[in-house]
Amino acid sequence: MTALLRSRVVWAAALLAILATTLPWWLSGYILGVLTVAYYFGVFAMSWDLLFGFAGEVNFGPTFLIGLGAYSAAMLNAHWSAPIPVCVIAGGVVALIGGLLLAVPALRLRGPYFGLVTLVAVLLLQNAIVIFAGLTGGEIGMMVPDVISVDANHNYWIALAFLIVCAILLFGLSRSAIGLILQASGQDTVGAQALGFNVTKHKLAAFCISAVFSGVAGAMLVFYQGTASVSTVVDLGVGVQIIIAAVLGGRRTILGAVLGSVFLIVAGEFLRPLGQINTFVVAAVALAVILFFPDGLLGNLLRVRERE
Amino acid sequence: MLPLQILIDGFAISSLYALGAIGFTLIFGVSGVLNLAHGGVMLVAALMGWMLAGEAGLGTYLGTLLGIVCGMLAAYITYLMVVRPIQRSAAIPREEKEIFVLTGTLLWGIMIQQGMAYLFTDNPITMRPLIDGVMNLAGVRVPFNEIMIAGVCWVVIGLLWLFVNRTRAGKALLAASMNPRGLTLLGFELSRIYLLAWTLYGVLAGIAGVLLASFLGVSTNNTGQLTASAFSIVVLGGLGSVSGSLMAAYVVGYLETVTAYLIAPTLRPLPALLLLVLVVYVRPQGFLGRR
Amino acid sequence: MSKCKTWRLHCFMATGAIATGLTCMGAAHAAGEPIKLGVISEESSVAGASISKSAQMAADEINAHGGVDGRQIQIVAYDDHSSASDGVRAFQRAANQDKVVAIIGSYISEVALAMEPWSARLKMPFITPGAASNEISKRVHDDYDRYKYTFHGWMTSAFIAQSICDFSHDILVGQLKMKTTVVMSEDAAWTKPLDERFLECLPKAGLQVLDHIRFNPDTSDFTPIFNQIEAKHPDTITTGISHVGVQPTVQWHDQQVPIPMTGQSSQATTTSFWKDTNGATEGVITASAAAPGVAVTPKTVPFVDGYQKKFGVSPAYDGFTSYDLVYILADAIHRNQGSTDPDKMVDALEKTDYVGTIGRWQFYGKNDQFTHALKYGPGYIQGINLQWQNGKQVAIWPQSIANAKVKFPAFVKLQQAAAK
Repeated sequence: MTALLRSRVVWAAALLAILATTLPWWLSGYILGVLTVAYYFGVFAMSWDLLFGFAGEVNFGPTFLIGLGAYSAAMLNAHWSAPIPVCVIAGGVVALIGGLLLAVPALRLRGPYFGLVTLVAVLLLQNAIVIFAGLTGGEIGMMVPDVISVDANHNYWIALAFLIVCAILLFGLSRSAIGLILQASGQDTVGAQALGFNVTKHKLAAFCISAVFSGVAGAMLVFYQGTASVSTVVDLGVGVQIIIAAVLGGRRTILGAVLGSVFLIVAGEFLRPLGQINTFVVAAVALAVILFFPDGLLGNLLRVRERE
Repeated sequence: MLPLQILIDGFAISSLYALGAIGFTLIFGVSGVLNLAHGGVMLVAALMGWMLAGEAGLGTYLGTLLGIVCGMLAAYITYLMVVRPIQRSAAIPREEKEIFVLTGTLLWGIMIQQGMAYLFTDNPITMRPLIDGVMNLAGVRVPFNEIMIAGVCWVVIGLLWLFVNRTRAGKALLAASMNPRGLTLLGFELSRIYLLAWTLYGVLAGIAGVLLASFLGVSTNNTGQLTASAFSIVVLGGLGSVSGSLMAAYVVGYLETVTAYLIAPTLRPLPALLLLVLVVYVRPQGFLGRR
Repeated sequence: MSKCKTWRLHCFMATGAIATGLTCMGAAHAAGEPIKLGVISEESSVAGASISKSAQMAADEINAHGGVDGRQIQIVAYDDHSSASDGVRAFQRAANQDKVVAIIGSYISEVALAMEPWSARLKMPFITPGAASNEISKRVHDDYDRYKYTFHGWMTSAFIAQSICDFSHDILVGQLKMKTTVVMSEDAAWTKPLDERFLECLPKAGLQVLDHIRFNPDTSDFTPIFNQIEAKHPDTITTGISHVGVQPTVQWHDQQVPIPMTGQSSQATTTSFWKDTNGATEGVITASAAAPGVAVTPKTVPFVDGYQKKFGVSPAYDGFTSYDLVYILADAIHRNQGSTDPDKMVDALEKTDYVGTIGRWQFYGKNDQFTHALKYGPGYIQGINLQWQNGKQVAIWPQSIANAKVKFPAFVKLQQAAAK
């Protein structure tokens, strides 16, 4: 515990958090809006990193869980006028159920099949949303009548608080005993099992945690934007962006994912004046990062070292 | 009347699916790459073929051929500039290479889609049918083009079979999908075999792209759907199994056609998806896949 | 000590001078400050691209004639990638960051509907140049004080349907003696009220509706649908398509479906459609705002010619409306003596009476059913019906501006019902 407090990384992160809190006093409402989205994205990326970095499971469909949370919250609010907190919690619960349904068969698989199953899950969700367009607004999206707040500052602080809470929880988890076991199971399943750990149970737990965080964050994002659409919470492209954000920040660092998300989203908005071509540019930059800087920004800095 | 209509339509669309899926599974079988830019490669072939045939005034036949060549080029670029650099990168640990390749091809697919949309808008395009007109087949009105497409697909599949089973290069391909290391020990150069695999893939995807454009029409918005559809069929049939993909393509094609005709056009993709879920839960290696 | 004081005095005076200077500059700047109009559209779709191009053309023309009371109009364009979320983000950026005074946005109903609440929340005048859903104006009617900032700059689905029914009555039933139809539309927000009105007014026009088919906008294989329609032997197919267009048209032609297509096919309203379908659109009839060479008003043809010369293609239906809307907004600001205060803008817009390229623009008021929607009817805006003949769009309705007679390709067999 004391080691943690003395860790420079934690102090740096705390400093950044305090700095972030002060931003509304000297940045415009629009930029705050962009950062708000980036913070929610950061939670997506952190949840993914927990699963991949530590449990070693390549999840190609983080948007399956996010989409489930987002759309169930949206539909509850739009069709049954449930209040926002209820919808957000419901989003988390639905994502959890979805995660369980996905994980139970998926964890039995080896090699590329796990990744495949997650990919298939996203396709299924996407098709289901399009087919039942009457309920879900189909490809183009649906509107929710309630938003968290119209004030950019409020939205920003809520998103920031959410991010900080999730970051503390997830980072703490990754450094705890459970996190170590997850890492062990991820890197050497047989060895971990030989040591007596129930690998499947731990991976399932990781999956569920990832699911809950993703689902709740997805629901919050919907109530920030006032819309839910396939292109922002379900599309494979979004999943790729999440993976890129985590890779960009540094795999297995949890906190790096936040940096990666902020960078990615801010860059995307910054390039918006390019008009149509901005998605192309972001994809190209991401591809370049993969090819030339696969270790990401924080790289080895935050990796739990083998010898302390 | 209706059963015959379903039979013919289902056959045409299944053949087209099969062509796309076989290319996809070939690349996975031989080089272990799930090319998520698959839709993009087909799109390039279709759009370039359309543009060269119409705008550049080269006529339908030449346009189609050049479209296929463009598809091949797109496949090459995918391999040489995205897949191979990642596979050879020293900075990426071996266990993570797969995910990086997947992400890389997905990003590349997005780039193709956006780039093409910028150049051509997302309006669907169709290529003029290679043969105009309809014929009456036992009371069912069938466009000549549809029959021709099914025919071409099967000719290509047949040629592929001949190539893989009867020629030396083809057999080397087959061997590479089973045991790459053994092949290198025997003195074959893996890199040349991979190049051959990607060439074949480019041709297959290119033909699938231009045929799709002349049969149903293609738009940049379809890119993701094309990849997803090929992908689902390949998973159903079994990763790496060409005959599995062929079988699965017909199963999916007919499921969709029957649903569209007999149940409702809106529910068309549903049964195939449900089948996919079932297979993933019960038999994840697909119909003919190896564990 | 005195040096310090002198220094401080100098600083104070210098700051004061600079501040005064800046304020003067600022004030002078404000007098000639450009009027920013936000335009949000789907750049990668043919219809969407027309919106920003036409808006820019109108702005350029107004600026060339001295602007609005000396102030230039500046168009700030955004691409919403046909996504509701992107549209909302662009809307927020336009209002909060780029500080535009009004927004012209989207031809897709789902996107416009998502932006509408933000128009209410941010008190930003918002006009859609091409979306059709009745819901847009219904919200304004039901909660006027909140939603009054939204205007519907195109015919509502109900009026589009009515226009097509009027056409069907005059031409299809009156001239061609048709008796039956099948309604075929994509499953989207704008077609729900469209189909409702179709089912109501087509029988009154003389066409019995034999079947009503709604298909997924993602459909790429229309063979089963055409098959289903043919089995019923209707005299015509009344379409409601916008998201799709090329594929059903080409397949209709390739399969030689013997039934004509009428109704609304938004993509068929653009001249590039002939090329996109390789001529398969020959004989297709669609409702539209206007057509090249057809003078709905004295402004129509000059606009089309100018657009065609500048961009190489003719404008889509929402190009006409976007062009007119920029003029209307400029006119509203002018009538307000330069004020762009949102509530004053709403008042001025409500009093709009402008002859544009598609007819006479007036908006319905607070107590009408479709508050802030376009007034429909002869003398106002009615739309036209055009048919593709030999690579060109010709007007076939209303009779007052028709320049051709209806003609179908050889494979279309009229009087199906009569033949039986």
